Amino acid sequence: MEEVILEFDKLTKKFPGVVALDEVSFDIFRGEVHALVGENGAGKSTLIKIVTGVYQKTSGEVFYQGKSINFRSPHDALQNGIAAIYQEFNLIPALTVAENIFMGHHFVRGKFVDWKKMEEEARKLLDFLEVDIDVNSRVRDLGVAKKQVIEIAKALSHNAKVLIMDEPTAALAQKEIKTLFRIIRFLKESGVTIIYISHRLEEVYEICDRVTVLRDGKFVATKPVKELKVEELIRMMVGREVGERFPRVSHTIGEEVLRVEGLTRPGVLENINISLHQREILGIAGMVGSGRTELLRAIYGVDPWEEGKIFIRGEEVKITSPPEAISLGIALLPEERKTQGLILLLSVLDNLGLPILPNIANAGFIDEDRLKQIGEEMVEAMNIKTPSLYQRVMYLSGGNQQKVVLGKWFARKCDIYLFDEPTRGIDVGAKVEIYQLMNRLVSEGAAIIMVSSELPEILAMSDRILVMREGKIAGEVNREEANQELILNLALGGKNHYARTP
Amino acid sequence: MKKLGVVGTLVILVASLCLGSLALAQEQLTIGLSFPSLSFAWFAFLEEAVKEKATQIGGIEVISLEAEDNVAKQISIIEDMIIRGVDGVLLVPIEVEAVVPAVEALNKANIPVVTVDRRIKEDAPVEVLCHVGADNVEGGRRAAKFIVDELVEKYGEPKGTVIELTGTPGAGPAIDRSAGFNEIMEQYPDITIKAQTANFRRDDGMKVMEDFIMSTPQIDAVFGANDEMILGAIQAIEASGKLDVKEVITVGFDALPEALQLIEEETLDATIEQFPGRQASTAFEILVKYLREKVEPENKVILIEPAVITKDNLYEAEKSIQ
Amino acid sequence: MPEPLETKKEKVSLVERFFILWDRIGILLAFIVVCILFGILTPVFFNPLNILNVIRQVSIIGVIAVGMTFVILLGGIDLSVGSVVAFTGIIAAGFQVKWGGSLFLSIVIPLLIGGGIGFLNGFISTKGGLHPFIVTLGTMSIFRGATLLVAKGRPISGMSRSFRFIGAGMIGPIPFPVILFLGSVIIAAIILRRTVFGRYIYAIGGNEEAALLSGIRVDRYKISAFTILGFLSALSGLILTSRLNSGELVAGEGYELDVIASVVIGGTSMMGGEGGVYGTLIGALLIGVISNGLNLLGVQPYWQMIVRGSIIILAVLMDKMKRRFRTA
Repeated sequence: MEEVILEFDKLTKKFPGVVALDEVSFDIFRGEVHALVGENGAGKSTLIKIVTGVYQKTSGEVFYQGKSINFRSPHDALQNGIAAIYQEFNLIPALTVAENIFMGHHFVRGKFVDWKKMEEEARKLLDFLEVDIDVNSRVRDLGVAKKQVIEIAKALSHNAKVLIMDEPTAALAQKEIKTLFRIIRFLKESGVTIIYISHRLEEVYEICDRVTVLRDGKFVATKPVKELKVEELIRMMVGREVGERFPRVSHTIGEEVLRVEGLTRPGVLENINISLHQREILGIAGMVGSGRTELLRAIYGVDPWEEGKIFIRGEEVKITSPPEAISLGIALLPEERKTQGLILLLSVLDNLGLPILPNIANAGFIDEDRLKQIGEEMVEAMNIKTPSLYQRVMYLSGGNQQKVVLGKWFARKCDIYLFDEPTRGIDVGAKVEIYQLMNRLVSEGAAIIMVSSELPEILAMSDRILVMREGKIAGEVNREEANQELILNLALGGKNHYARTP
Repeated sequence: MKKLGVVGTLVILVASLCLGSLALAQEQLTIGLSFPSLSFAWFAFLEEAVKEKATQIGGIEVISLEAEDNVAKQISIIEDMIIRGVDGVLLVPIEVEAVVPAVEALNKANIPVVTVDRRIKEDAPVEVLCHVGADNVEGGRRAAKFIVDELVEKYGEPKGTVIELTGTPGAGPAIDRSAGFNEIMEQYPDITIKAQTANFRRDDGMKVMEDFIMSTPQIDAVFGANDEMILGAIQAIEASGKLDVKEVITVGFDALPEALQLIEEETLDATIEQFPGRQASTAFEILVKYLREKVEPENKVILIEPAVITKDNLYEAEKSIQ
Repeated sequence: MPEPLETKKEKVSLVERFFILWDRIGILLAFIVVCILFGILTPVFFNPLNILNVIRQVSIIGVIAVGMTFVILLGGIDLSVGSVVAFTGIIAAGFQVKWGGSLFLSIVIPLLIGGGIGFLNGFISTKGGLHPFIVTLGTMSIFRGATLLVAKGRPISGMSRSFRFIGAGMIGPIPFPVILFLGSVIIAAIILRRTVFGRYIYAIGGNEEAALLSGIRVDRYKISAFTILGFLSALSGLILTSRLNSGELVAGEGYELDVIASVVIGGTSMMGGEGGVYGTLIGALLIGVISNGLNLLGVQPYWQMIVRGSIIILAVLMDKMKRRFRTA
């Protein structure tokens, strides 16, 4: 019998007008990696925030090491060994690694900071985690992965017994994820309990022991991952059959619509050659920082480049700004939906209308009826769930927001789509819808380039896959011969005999 | 009597200086002139008078710099002047106290200072060769007396409602002019004074006057602590349709050419002349005489008596600008 | 970002509703309350002549504030407006008094110059990648200096009758500046609501990068907004010069603060993307009414400054609250 470290008993949290958690009961074993999954709005965040003392429960009990607890603040929780690492790190960029790790409980000698001791202890912690980070470097100079390790070290410095990780891999590259998982396994062996929140189900299967599913504030099930099929898990999360996870439909590839020859931007992109065809989905894999995003931005005319040629439908074009790209039918769905794709303050209709306003205006005056009509069409076509066209997009879920971004280009009748991480941070159910929309675009004659860090998505949805590494195309893989191993090898620089040289 | 004496001495001083300087056209002098702001015509006028005098005397270079009404800027201007090695400084301080350190620095560098128009705080531990200025308090008194006389003429006794447009709150001339004005007015309980600031600005003068016209049914007289404000007030009166500008007694301050023009046209009744040109040239002469002949002025403070300018004595005004 | 709190939408809706309401009518409500208060304290406040006075006084700042609304909606700022008022005013006065007295030139040239200065502000800040705060701080000084230079340190007075109509004329019972002001408010409101230009102003102010990636020529719109502001500042310069019958050297000094205050009190966010010109109208009127009311009551100028400052802070606080309750 496993030892229970955390137990929830009919835990309920009500906000005015809404029940966020409705009598949720389950338990977490000491030393396990416990996944907490559910769609946005399922109650995961509320649960975590009650455990860490950000919120106070309305009713029910939380037992920690057998005792009923009710933390008043995150500090309170930390004192008792419960730490949380959010996607937005709580680090101070200008300070050193050592200072950040011991933030809030500096080692002191008299009134002065005992630097030596602090650095020593920090080094011990990092050695314990088997990572190589200079304790005297400034946090701002470090990459995302290292920052995350520092957060973990910081939690350990508080003798954390329970570590909550919220979407820890969202900003990590494949290689870094491997390191993270190594650390997680290591912590687990050391007796630390980990609550792992992620949208990426592959990770849940790879790293977690048990999984708890929440839906609409209610408990659905807790099961060992080994006893649970992916399809079943998804069904529990979504509450209905979503059908296939990757509903790919294959199409007859048409003629070439985009050709990139020798595109070069020193230090960023080197001699990139791409050929994209009608009704084709071209996947681009690679590590974060391999130049994937930069390539899309170069084609779209956002970032300048020095050498190379771009042909659209056989004709050479010079694209120096997004408006030029758009007029050629190219659309970009940027990496960061909220900061690059949408204007959160504006309504669904305003966002949908952005690229098309000049086309439906007379002497600068917008044809409001026409706009509204297009808006309604798009909401229907994209299946955007919104109370009205005039709802601010900030209030939509991630999936619906992404559909708005897509709809805005669909309304503009673009036919070359550059997708940068199209399903990042989106619910499983909504992901399927995005894939279906991609299928629809392709069936209507569009061509898609899809950059993604999620290999299953790339593998399942692409006709061909290009792998980028250090600003170059490291290889091209056909749909039939593609597999995770092969792509990772290419992305990390390993040899690969199957790949054709581009 | 005493004042007449002062003026008398001045006349003699001026005359002798002119003669003296003709005889002694000698070493080249550089004189710094620091004043608050070119944005007010008054100072532009002052600067012009100094430059004119300099040409008249000959052999003198004038470095003239405005401080954009910024005390810190005035201090750094003076510091720059010390570095450039000026022989003397003619100073119109923006503020009575803040400029003291700069004058200390001038003292240290043995550069004589003459202040014009506005004084430095009297008990400040600095050496000022001489102050030549106007008596703003007296100017305020005279404006008040003029208005009282006009009211008596109108009603047979000193009564009525008088609007006082005061200058920028806290500014020395604003305080002094208002003090003199009210000192006289307090003696007449039947005269009601309504005061509000218009920041020495024409647009504010107009705006504030518009509001007074609404709030005050009967307005007999308006005193503007400078001409800009009274000019704005006159615009408001003319535009209101409720008051006749010829009926309302209007008095300004500074005798700007535009005000003199309106006096000529009988739109404005009077303005107070403080003879900025005379102030400036007197101060300048004292400084030059000290530098060239080491003659210290007899009086440390020379106040030039203000005059009320009306249509009858327009010729007395220094209206060389036009 | 952590997953948005599932309940946030519902939970916030009550508070949000209050702030939406505040957004629409809060400032109007404050304005009405202030008016009623003054009306009780001093009955002459509601005299139609006084009301026209206030609107006329406000129109000089208000015309600029209309232009400033565009710039602030874009997330920008312009400190040079006061200097533009002085410079274009002195140019107008120059054409009236010194350089031939042509009515046409003394109106058209200053307006062109004003637009040109605005264009310059926009051009330098977008193409040079400088914050408009810095650029317009520079042009503020440049054109104050240029004003003194042109005027040789003295105001230029004595406008023609026809020129004086701009600031002092009446159409029926309505002062002409009021018509110019209200006219610019209405035109601006139509532009902001109905035209592509207007919608793109909101888009750029809301999220410049997303706007850029949506194919909006961001620089072009920014420059246009600054140009409009420069043009309207010049119009204000004409009104002021005409009204004072004089091109003043200190004209417009400190106007930038009143103008920005009007816009912000009117509910336009300094962060850009939210607000509108009707709010600015009320904001400008509120500032004008407070000054007028306190004048009618004979309140000391010091208090006026204190009251105005407090209102500005309150307005920005409301704006901040509005945002806090909104961001997930």
